[in-house]
Amino acid sequence: MFRYLVRLLPGLALLLCATSGHARDALAGSENIQSRTLENGLKVIVWPDQDIPNVAWYHWVRAGARNEHPGITGLSHFFEHMMFNGTSKREPGEFDRIMEANGGANNAYTSSDVTVYTDWVPGAALELNFELESDRFQNLAFVEEVVNSERGVVYSERRSSVDNQSAGKLLEQVNATAFVAHPYQFPVIGWPSDIENWKMQDLQQYFRTYYAPNNTTLVIVGAVQPDQVFALAEKYFGPISTQPAPEPVRTVEPPQNGQRRLEVFDTAQAPILAVAFHIPQADHADTAALTLAMDVLGEGSSSRLYQRLVEQEQLAVEVFAFKDEGFDPGLAWIFAMLPPDGDLQRTEQVLFEELDKMGSEVLLPGELEKARNIQMANFWRKLATIDGKADLLGTYEVFYGDYGKMLDVPAHYAGVSPEQVKDVVARVFRRANSTLGLLIPEAAEQEEGE
Amino acid sequence: MNRYPFWRRSLAATVLVLAVMARAAAAGGIQLPAYQQIQLKNGATLVLLEKHDVPLVAFSAALRGGLVTEPAEKNGVASLTSQLLQKGAGERDAKAFAEAVAAVGGVFDVSANLEYLGLSGEFMARDTDLMISLLADVLRRPHLDQAEFDKLRNRAIQGLAGMKDSDARGLVGIYARALVFGNHPYARSDTGSEASLARVSHQDAKEYARDNLSPERLLLVIAGDFDAGSMRDKMEKALGGWTSVGAKTPQLPAAGRVPGGRVLLVDKPGATQTYFWIGNIGVSRSDPDKVAIDLVNTLFGGRFTSMLNTALRIESGLTYGAHSNVDMPSQPGTVAMQSYTATETTIEAVDLALEQLKGLRTKGLDEAQLRSGKTYRQGLFPMGFETAKMLAGQLLSLKFYGLDDSNVNDYARDMEAVSAEKAAAVISRVYPGLDDLVYVFIGNSEAIGEQLETYGKVTRMSITDPDWTASEE
Repeated sequence: MFRYLVRLLPGLALLLCATSGHARDALAGSENIQSRTLENGLKVIVWPDQDIPNVAWYHWVRAGARNEHPGITGLSHFFEHMMFNGTSKREPGEFDRIMEANGGANNAYTSSDVTVYTDWVPGAALELNFELESDRFQNLAFVEEVVNSERGVVYSERRSSVDNQSAGKLLEQVNATAFVAHPYQFPVIGWPSDIENWKMQDLQQYFRTYYAPNNTTLVIVGAVQPDQVFALAEKYFGPISTQPAPEPVRTVEPPQNGQRRLEVFDTAQAPILAVAFHIPQADHADTAALTLAMDVLGEGSSSRLYQRLVEQEQLAVEVFAFKDEGFDPGLAWIFAMLPPDGDLQRTEQVLFEELDKMGSEVLLPGELEKARNIQMANFWRKLATIDGKADLLGTYEVFYGDYGKMLDVPAHYAGVSPEQVKDVVARVFRRANSTLGLLIPEAAEQEEGE
Repeated sequence: MNRYPFWRRSLAATVLVLAVMARAAAAGGIQLPAYQQIQLKNGATLVLLEKHDVPLVAFSAALRGGLVTEPAEKNGVASLTSQLLQKGAGERDAKAFAEAVAAVGGVFDVSANLEYLGLSGEFMARDTDLMISLLADVLRRPHLDQAEFDKLRNRAIQGLAGMKDSDARGLVGIYARALVFGNHPYARSDTGSEASLARVSHQDAKEYARDNLSPERLLLVIAGDFDAGSMRDKMEKALGGWTSVGAKTPQLPAAGRVPGGRVLLVDKPGATQTYFWIGNIGVSRSDPDKVAIDLVNTLFGGRFTSMLNTALRIESGLTYGAHSNVDMPSQPGTVAMQSYTATETTIEAVDLALEQLKGLRTKGLDEAQLRSGKTYRQGLFPMGFETAKMLAGQLLSLKFYGLDDSNVNDYARDMEAVSAEKAAAVISRVYPGLDDLVYVFIGNSEAIGEQLETYGKVTRMSITDPDWTASEE
């Protein structure tokens, strides 16, 4: 779902769905969730929860790397940074200084699909937060000097997440190879030459188009009352004008009819195998079965791939399996981290043996129940915090079209049969549907004095 | 991509104890919920806290010992032993144990820490009995199987190679700890090094387990959706017959500051970014001024608008993040600034960080800064106490270091009471002066090596060396 975030942190995929059970009945307080859409199109969803005196604020903007094109790749992410760098009313840095001085903190993230602005503030600072947030959505400043300084920050981020780690380098190349048409091929951080060359007008155009109230959804959970939130939303966000809806992403990735392979050489010690398979978009009927299949394959040390590759054959040191859940068809990923001098060929062979087996034989007794329980427990863990609740509500509203579906997801998992899992595995985890990347270590050049 | 790398959503993980609401919630912040503390006859300490909002039960446990009880030269035995505990215990072999946890969507983690072996987990409330039996098996009936040990050790050594191919943010502190603590046990790393792991035998792991898995060393906190009375009975049954082996935990001396002007350069050929750590030895967990230290460090390098991040990121664009840490274990830990920047701006970024430290020590913090830092800490404090898992972790931390509940319940008040004079005293006492700094760099030696001599005598090693210290040391 969080394409880039998840891809950078394999194995730490945020799991957002539930399984068997009766969440709607059991979910204390969910009957208090309310929503309202302002005249300008901004939808506001509120879940009052007085457990702690704080508020989680998730503002979802439907803009990410899929809305980019060559020349402006990385702009969505860069924009995320620029949203903290001043308005016509406030100097760069004032937003953070004021929020922190009032007991709040914030962050933001960009994926291929969305950009999300997150704040955690004391309930007493709610109105101030509305003022701060509406100011930047209304009056963002575009100052050349600030833009150039922030380019340096983004470069540093790129160096850490891609350029100086071999897994990041491999992931970027496999992703760019898996898509030949769809903009999911662009790295969220952007290609270096684009990071250097965005123009001021690109930024201004982007802001007008995507940061309009009718293209965003605001979720607020915590020590608030819905009526109070709606009144503040009207007061602070109501005056922001609606904009024409952004152009839809029209490009559909054509079917892949044959494996693509690539090699990345890197000054490193350990080889890595990465395989990406095309999968449907988040709201597709296959998603529940695929989520459960991925858990059986790669979640934890009891999973099939871990048991075979790490424990039994000791071909890999670690295995990760994770997938995208976005607006458009994305990728399911499997990473095998090999030991130095590890056998890439044999690892590939064993990996596909396991995938073929799972696509041709029905799951073992207990495996499906295990995957459901993993999802159910993760669901409850998310619901234990105001932050997790805000994240869940926004995810279902934005990617599934209705925040209320969050409460129905247990039923979706309960309805998945072992045959459905086998069927989806057989369709997705095929060689012809895969892009396979090999990270091949190169020895460092001999240095002086050695 | 996250905007900011080190303000983590999980506030519970913060090393320093945090703060309570003051201005924002003048009513007085939060109080720890009621809990029971029980001492079993065999010396184990049990803490039980009921919380019923979601059907989950979490546990957080510490077995006193950790890295500091490793034999010298065997760094890594604590980590290997802790992992081995899950690789077969009671009636279950390694695979069955993993299956039992995953089958119910549970989490069961082990870790080796500086001063304790950690066990933590979370299960659905309906699986509480399973959770207790797994915990009791791990503590009392681990198989410590030779074949599993061999696999774990190989994987640990191989995994370090992978770590070194990754972003070096997590590595620079390991090299730094090894350098500043020298022969003190605090020099050890959580994982061990490739060289030290190769020296650890299966017999070492068995001996380590024998000495460290003992009831009087156990502090176990369970929080969540259960009845405390019934839980107490179950835990007494599960752990009651467990007898002590009587091995003593060592009393460690406090390490003193090391002379400044030492520079370690870890060469990572081809690196386009330099990672740096600048610091020395600081203070311990029992420091009477820890609330003031928390405040000062927040303002110096502990939040987005801190002095360090403002200078190195917000105003200059040199880095994605710059921060400072005050690590406070039982004896003095490290105090340090950390960041990373493009190879060609290494000196510029380091000098800017040094300038901030100098500014902190000469100009101090003004009233407006202190006010802002207090409200920040107070405002976010409750978010570290939201779930059963967080409460279990927080209580474990308090009890492990022998701190009482006032550290939480009075934190808002104590934070509010930090005076400008106290902050100034903390700055000069805790943060080393510019002449007292030790430097660790990971980066492209060919490009930056000579320039670093401006900070002191440069010792070089390669990132592929199998130890965390340079062999010439």
